[in-house]
Order: sequence, then structure tokens, then C-alpha cells
Amino acid sequence: MKRIFVDYKKCLACKACESACAVEQHPCHSLMAALGDHKTQVNVRVLGIDHEAFPLSCRHCDPADCLNACPSGAISRDPESGAVLLDAALCKACAMCAMVCPFDAISFKVTHRSLYGRDVAYKCDLCNERIKEGKSPACVTACHSGALVYAEHDALRGRQAVKSLRTYLLGAEGIPAHVELFRELRRKEFARRRDGEQ
Amino acid sequence: MKVVTVGTGMAAAEFVQRLRLEGFGGEIVMCSDEGFAPYSPCVIPFYLAGEPLQTVYWKGADFYDRYRVTPRLSDPVVEVDTARRLVRSAAGRNASYDRLFFASGARSWYPRPEWLETTGVFGFKTLTDMVAIDRYVSENNIKKAVVFGGGFIGVDAALALWHRGLEITLVHRNTRLLSQMTDEDGGRFATAKLAAKTGIDIRLKTTVNEIVTNGGQLKAVELANGERIETALLIVSIGVSPNSEALCGNDKGVASNDQMLADPDIYTAGDVAVTRHAVTGEQGIFATYPNAMQQARIAARHLVHGDGSFGGSINTNVLKKHIDFPIVSAGRFEGEPYTWQQGDIWRRVYLQDGMINGYLIIGDTRISGFIYHLYLSRKRVDRNIGTIISEPRHDSYYRGVLGVH
Ligand SMILES: Cc1cc2nc3c(=O)[nH]c(=O)nc-3n(C[C@H](O)[C@H](O)[C@H](O)COP(=O)(O)OP(=O)(O)OC[C@H]3O[C@@H](n4cnc5c(N)ncnc54)[C@H](O)[C@@H]3O)c2cc1C
Ligand code: SF4
Ligand code: SF4
Repeated sequence: MKRIFVDYKKCLACKACESACAVEQHPCHSLMAALGDHKTQVNVRVLGIDHEAFPLSCRHCDPADCLNACPSGAISRDPESGAVLLDAALCKACAMCAMVCPFDAISFKVTHRSLYGRDVAYKCDLCNERIKEGKSPACVTACHSGALVYAEHDALRGRQAVKSLRTYLLGAEGIPAHVELFRELRRKEFARRRDGEQ
Repeated sequence: MKVVTVGTGMAAAEFVQRLRLEGFGGEIVMCSDEGFAPYSPCVIPFYLAGEPLQTVYWKGADFYDRYRVTPRLSDPVVEVDTARRLVRSAAGRNASYDRLFFASGARSWYPRPEWLETTGVFGFKTLTDMVAIDRYVSENNIKKAVVFGGGFIGVDAALALWHRGLEITLVHRNTRLLSQMTDEDGGRFATAKLAAKTGIDIRLKTTVNEIVTNGGQLKAVELANGERIETALLIVSIGVSPNSEALCGNDKGVASNDQMLADPDIYTAGDVAVTRHAVTGEQGIFATYPNAMQQARIAARHLVHGDGSFGGSINTNVLKKHIDFPIVSAGRFEGEPYTWQQGDIWRRVYLQDGMINGYLIIGDTRISGFIYHLYLSRKRVDRNIGTIISEPRHDSYYRGVLGVH
């Protein structure tokens, strides 16, 4: 089964993935509509850690702790794509899932999928509808630096990816020159700021 | 082979679903004292708060048909004859079994069971309770309620009724709400925040001692401190006891081994089962859904394939339903405490031998999954736990992975 992998060394922290996700998840499928709408749902979050950055979202673990903890029947696995799906209509926002998700991939708010005017849990659905049509997830399509890869994961990596993020962050492989330059500048900028603080 | 379940609750539904998914083709009979399709007790308070009844049937309202089950409902099982492999119900119906799955859960414990004979006094445990409360509130246009008991279920009850628009007084014996899942400081912090966010009138260190009635109808309650509160609705949720009498003759729960066997032909799981804690090894009842689910799956696996072993229960719990203010905790609140607080967020981790012994995370679910896995994996964290809980961007885990410090 295919999963989204991240080559964090190629991530430019441009957040194109976040915007693409917001548009994909918005009922109007438009950036203008998603902007400034407090119900806009963004399932991927670019995490900045000093000079490193990478987009973080659900790993679609197998077995999935969140699925095993949900007492409402809201979380299920698509047998075909392997995606771990969360049905907002059944979610009671009890946070049993968030309590055990090792990657902090579940957030809560009132989204366009909330049925009863209260917050619900939301997370990445691997763009399940898109991938069933043979497309890539929206974030992967939007990423122009090659940091996001939608690829078949071998069984071994799949098993490790459940518990460890390291296997999901692929690491450096043929970083393009301009990205290498960007990284170098970012590293220097962070070093400069750190020195400034001391 | 014929399988009978005592109970149609969360453990029994998970068990039966698993049996069918693992290819079990034999006859299945499910017995319950209630008359519903399997429902999730965790979800039922939302029905009172105004959401559709349909959503409580977490595995579908057509469960019995879909999994080819013969339901025997509204008739409690009163005796298990292990020698003849028979269960007997209150109505005198026998059902024979080759394997029994005993998952009858727990029932509310009432200090004064006779109170329930009064109109307006209810428990808060089953869908039957919810349907009765809902009808009573609508038909009598109830505006005020007293909830007696500030444990997890009592707070759930208070918040659900508060959402429905009732004015709530919550009476709790202890110095803080949720006293089992918090320590003194965390519990006080959470109690103050809950009161401030909801306006629920919380009365601590007192109990409901008497009820005042008029012609069988509740009029008021009297607290131990002498105070009298006028109300036509009292919810009693001060504790539960396991429904183990039919099998064990007492209400101390059903002891089980790592295969969830209580007897060579009898599996057990859920709120009635006595199991081992995964970290401390202590025997006890760990009454949350994830434990019930795991135990039921092990039992189903063992029944079909003859293998599988339960790794132990965990006492993690979270209160977040009806309110955007999570309270997460697990383990024991003993050892060396590390505390961090900023505004609405309060975190404390107890270390013993450098490992997490227990933790409380209040006001925010972030890092709770990470801490949960550190707790379970018994990692030594004495060098960096201070940084982990105080990192405002909660990215310590990712820092570690990337090697950025
Ligand atoms: C209001 C409320 C909120 C909760 N919220 C949460 C939460 O957020 N998270 C969480 O993890 N847990 C929560 N719980 C606890 C959770 O519901 C239980 O841990 C779980 O349901 C245990 O499953 P079980 O199958 O053992 O028991 P149950 O689901 O209670 O099922 C017991 C079954 O046995 C039947 N039964 C009882 N006696 C007999 C008899 N003599 N004969 C035949 N049948 C009988 C009952 O009718 C029922 O079908 C909550 C519980 C309540 C009441
Ligand atoms: S990353 Fe978290 S939310 Fe996603 S499947 Fe794993 S446990 Fe569930
Ligand atoms: S918050 Fe929603 S999805 Fe998560 S465990 Fe609770 S009901 Fe399930």
C-alpha cells in the first residue's frame, strides 16, 4: 500500500501543502473560500524546528492506536487503500484517539463536517477519494521541492513506521543544488540568531 | 460450536464482530437485560445533550442481523451452570453453550437504592437511563438538576445536561472532581477551570444525605452540610460495581488469565473482568473502552485460533466530551513530580527510577500521545522530561528524531 513519505531535507517550509490541503478539504474547493473561514480544515501542519522543517500529518499506522481507542465507531480503515478514516458524523470529540496518537496528528475544532455545531476530531484522510481515482494526495501534488513523496512502502518500513517517525522521514538523497543552498542559508540564519541570543 | 455472550455491550459487540471477521461460522446467541442493539455507553450522554439516538449504535443498528446473531434481550442472565454449560435467565430460559463470553459490565452503585423509587431520581449508566431522563426532562420541562458524584461519569452527566440548558449543581464528596484520575493539585486546577468555563455550581466535600419527596415525586435534596437544594431531578452516579454475581456469586468481578479465560470454556472482558495492569502488574478492574476492546479481541482470537495473549490493561483516561478543555491522565501519581503551567495548560509527570510512573495533562491534548508512549515503553526520561513538558511548541519528540537540540 502507498503512503506519504517526507524527505525533510528538501522541505522549504513554503506551506504549499497546507494550502493545497485546505482547498482540497473545503466544500467549495477554492482557496478564496478557504481563506478566513474559521471552519477551514487543514490536515497537515508544517513544523519548524530550528533550521529544520517538515510537514506532519497522520501516518495511517497499522495497527492504529487511534482506531483501537475510538469508542464511537468514528474511526475505521479503508480495506482497499489502507487509509485510517475519521467520520465526523460519529465523532463525539472525546479525545480518546488524541490521547494515544504518538504523532499528535489529531486536532479538534468546528469544521464543515461537524453536524451538531460543536468541535470534532479531524486529521489527514490520505486524500482517500483522490487516491482511489488514481491521483496523488493534494499535498504531494502541491509540493514542488520533492519533499513529499507518495510511494509504496515495503512491509518492513511499514511495520517500523507505526512506531517510529524516522522511517517516515526519508533523509537526504540527491538534494538539488538550489535546495542545498537554501538549507545552507537557513542553517546560517539560525546560527546567527542563536549567536545573537547569547 | 455454539457461542453465547452474557451482555451486548462494548466488549461483547467487539468480540462477536471479531469472531465473524476471523471466520467463525458457528451459532452465536447474545443475551442482555436491555432491549437494544449494541450501543456505546461513552456516547449516550450526547443523546441527552440533543444529538440523534441513532449515533449510539456504534457498530450499526442492524448489528444482530449483519453478524448473524440470535439476540435474547430484555431478560437478565441470573445463573451460569458451568458444569452443564448452561446459562439461565430471570424468565427461566436456558441457553446451552460450548463457549461463553461473560461481559456483563458494571452497574451503578446506589447508597440508598430506595431513592430510585422516587420519580425524578435516576442513574446514569445505561441507554435505558438516558431514555428515561430524556423523557422526564422533556415532559416536565425540567430546568434544574443535581448530580451526585463527581467522578468521570458524574462529570459527563453534569456536562451533558448543562449542554441541554439545565442549571446544574454537582455534589462531590472529595476535595476535587475526577479524584481518581487526578492528583490533588491537578484536580483542583481542573475543577476550578470546569466551574469557570461552565458555570456549574460545584459543591465539594459534601454528599446528598436525604431526598425530600411529595407523593412519590422528588422536590429537593438535603446535603450533609445541612443545605437544602430545590430540584425535581437528581442523578446519582457515585460508583459502579461489576455484574459478576451470575458467574461468581459475588460482585467482586471475574478473574481472568492472559487468554481472557475465567474457566476453560468461559472468556471474560470489559468492566466485569479483573485483569493485570500492563505496567504495574497490579490486578484490578480497568473500566475503559480501549481495555475492553483489547480484551475482547484477544478472547476472539484465542477462541478461533487458539493463540494470543493479553498484554495487560492501562488506566489511561481523558475527559473532553461536551467541553473544549481536556483532562488526560494515566498511571500512578507517585514519585518525583515535574510540573509545568502556562495559562490554561497544566502538565505534571511523576518519575520513578527515571521512568514515567504517572502523568496528568490538563487543558490541551498535545504531547499526550507522545507521553503515553513514553509511559508504556518504560523509556528513561529523567534527562529531558523537564524540556518535554515545558516545550511550548511541543516538538521535543521531533527534535529528538531530527537530532536538533
Ligand atoms: C456515561 C458513560 C460514559 C463513558 N465514557 C467513556 C469514555 O469516554 N471513554 C472510555 O474509555 N470509557 C467510557 N465509559 C466506560 C465504557 O463505557 C466501558 O468501559 C465499556 O462500555 C465496557 O464495556 P463492557 O462490555 O464491559 O460493558 P458495557 O458496555 O456496559 O456492557 C455490559 C452489557 O451487559 C449487559 N448485562 C448486564 N448485566 C446483565 C445480565 N445479568 N444478564 C445479561 N446481560 C447483562 C448490559 O445490558 C450490557 O449489554 C463510559 C461509561 C459511561 C456509563
Ligand atoms: S498517526 Fe495517529 S491518527 Fe494517524 S493512524 Fe497513527 S495513531 Fe491514528
Ligand atoms: S474524538 Fe472522535 S474520533 Fe477521536 S476517539 Fe473520540 S469519538 Fe473517536
